[in-house]
Amino acid sequence: MIRSAYAVTVSVLLAVGTLGGCDTAAQRRDDVRHTAAVFEKALAEGAYDRVCAVLAPATLDELEQSSGSPCPKAVGEESLKPGGGVQRTDVYGDQARTVLSSDTLFLSHFTSGWKVVAAGCEPRPEVPYECVIKGG
Amino acid sequence: MTARLTARPPAPRARGFLRDNALGLFFLVTFVLAIAGQAIAGHADFNNQLAADQLQQISLGEYLTTSDFAVDVTENWQSEYLQFFLYVGATIWLLQRGSPESKELHKAGTESDREQLVGAHANADSPKWVRAGGWRRAVYSHSLLLVMGTIFLLSWLVQSISGTAAYDEQRLRQLQAPLSWAGYLGAADFWNRTLQNWQSELLAVASMAVLSIYLRQRGSPESKPVGAAHGSTGVEG
Repeated sequence: MIRSAYAVTVSVLLAVGTLGGCDTAAQRRDDVRHTAAVFEKALAEGAYDRVCAVLAPATLDELEQSSGSPCPKAVGEESLKPGGGVQRTDVYGDQARTVLSSDTLFLSHFTSGWKVVAAGCEPRPEVPYECVIKGG
Repeated sequence: MTARLTARPPAPRARGFLRDNALGLFFLVTFVLAIAGQAIAGHADFNNQLAADQLQQISLGEYLTTSDFAVDVTENWQSEYLQFFLYVGATIWLLQRGSPESKELHKAGTESDREQLVGAHANADSPKWVRAGGWRRAVYSHSLLLVMGTIFLLSWLVQSISGTAAYDEQRLRQLQAPLSWAGYLGAADFWNRTLQNWQSELLAVASMAVLSIYLRQRGSPESKPVGAAHGSTGVEG
């Protein structure tokens, strides 16, 4: 009796954990793609205030400090271009990467949702991506 | 005198259970305390890393579901079960003169049915699968090794999967591309985590097998009797 109750408990926990985990992972990937889409749309429309709204706090601070201008003006001065459609999205824990047709974004999860940590990123062999904007 | 005798309550069943299972319970409770401590320390360490990268910190409850916690737990589990798997398996054939961890020097191998109380030599109180014979007896004869080996392999598998996720989360924080599971199996991080645990377990086993030849702990079944000769093998206190 004890053994069967234990088996049922373990089975339920595994099922809930597995299904819950998959559902959460899919949801998180969708949320990352949504933030990337908001960022790209705002960039394409030149709505730099909306671009700034989805930047991670440290990235926004770094951008303003290095340019000496408010975020929307600083974004306009950078050589950021719309990256095109999403090719793939990787999410591990609270960190994510979205590879676009001609750009790569790195994102991180905050209380207010997913935010862009780095954009305008080009891959380099064996070392971190080189990014137009990124946090300190 | 009579009053003292009648005042003494009969030994409660709970106390008997505790005494009969004290060894297992002691290690179970200390395991829970240790893993709770690991969770608290690991959570603080993880948040320190996030703070250094100016990223959102997480709660203890969230940390317990992270791959970072999972890989730290399972990398130790796999090595512990590997240790006992190897110890149970190696001591069938390999001997150590003078060690209480070894069988007597003429007993190398799986031993006779008579010595192992199987087949015609099984007793009425032998486990059911031993008395059943056939495949059940064959499986039961190796059940300890099979279970230890299975838990080792499963723990190592979970270490590799959770390690991939933890390593990739760290790589994304550093603006690097993530690795696949197969890629992580060839990564230095996986083998560094694995081998640093294996080496310590193997050293501990070698130390126990050899030091117990010359050193004693009175009252411990892991030691020879205090007065036993250094050369006596397979004798437990």
